[in-house]
Amino acid sequence: MNTSDTQFDPTQERKLSLSAHAMVLVIVCLIGLVGNTVATDIPIADGFVGLIVLYVISMIGLLLTEMVPVKLPSVAWISLVGILLTLPWTPGSEWIIAQATNVNFLTLATPCLAYAGIAIAQQEIDIAKSSGWKIFIVAVLVMTGTYVGSAAIAELFL
Amino acid sequence: MQRTMDMVLDWRLHLSVLVITIISELIGVIAIPIGIGSILLLPLLYAFILGLLINPNVIKGAGVWIKDNDVRAASPLIVIAIMPFIAKFGTIIGPQMEQIIDAGPALLLQELGNLGTIVIAFPVAVLALRMGRESIGACFSVAREPNIAIIADKYGLKSQEGAGVMGVYVIGTLFGTFIFAILASIFATAGLFSVEALAMACGIGSGSMMAACTGALASAVPEMKEQILALAGASNVLTYATGIYLGVFVALPITEKLYDLMGRKDKSAQAGE
Repeated sequence: MNTSDTQFDPTQERKLSLSAHAMVLVIVCLIGLVGNTVATDIPIADGFVGLIVLYVISMIGLLLTEMVPVKLPSVAWISLVGILLTLPWTPGSEWIIAQATNVNFLTLATPCLAYAGIAIAQQEIDIAKSSGWKIFIVAVLVMTGTYVGSAAIAELFL
Repeated sequence: MQRTMDMVLDWRLHLSVLVITIISELIGVIAIPIGIGSILLLPLLYAFILGLLINPNVIKGAGVWIKDNDVRAASPLIVIAIMPFIAKFGTIIGPQMEQIIDAGPALLLQELGNLGTIVIAFPVAVLALRMGRESIGACFSVAREPNIAIIADKYGLKSQEGAGVMGVYVIGTLFGTFIFAILASIFATAGLFSVEALAMACGIGSGSMMAACTGALASAVPEMKEQILALAGASNVLTYATGIYLGVFVALPITEKLYDLMGRKDKSAQAGE
């Protein structure tokens, strides 16, 4: 193991401004809309409204990330906003749920993974190569252990 | 500021993602039957492969279309691109809140199941593969960003522990979605655990891995789709909230202790060279 990878730290993400987030989200939602229209029989107009709803939820979550002093990742805030707006006790939740239903959940992950594939850096390939087969085996076992461990405990208490 | 905007509005990058998304969705879900079940290939997996194929770091010839600055621009966009997906998950969890509260104890306690990596991976790394202190960083967690931060904070990323966590992080980035899609496909059809338990296990604190895991599970058991997504999503939110504490206060101390117990205390100087 050498130390050539020391400059590479994925926790040091470049911080983008709220307006940059807002713009990228528009692009991502439009790509998502095309994907949704290709993948399902849902009319484009219905998918469009659905994505506007998801866009607004994401933006509220991003605003909360900036404003609330509790340190949680923005995805956690976005989840919470989505949950709170669709609770059975929330007024108007049925309308929001109906709109969101017009967007296929799995399709929304497709553009993200395309960005992820394009974003793989030379350092990451170098780390994978230099770590070799041992770290590959360990990584597969780490993921298997995490998954089976959680499933086993959940099974016990369900 | 201008540079940031150029990066954010990199049309070449977004156009590529659009085309990849269309191709991937046109192919759709493919099920490959194997002995104990079937492995489900999902559009998001094709999208990742297609992304790699136009990445100049992977395929040299791809440099004529995607440049280094496009690659750099793509990286901060990953977490933004997953946001509508996370928002959608929220809207699946909300309506099912009563069922989630019913499953509350299981949902909370299965977070401890993330320690399963220490049970399964750590002994193999230390005893079978004879790895040094790398194995501590590699095996204490599923090695996503918060876990890297823990190791960076405690040992620094230049250390052997740092090399371990980075190694698993990179393998997870490259193969994690495939591994979780395969795990979920096999367990869903093998019948060892209930679908609810498998759904909760999908919440591992990574949006794309959860997407692959729940996608495979929901495609295998479509009649339980809403429940699967709600439980996985709730578990994922819990992991976002608790993961770092479980890592700092439980997983890492246990891994450290076990490393000493396995009699590798004195090997730290020579290992990993």
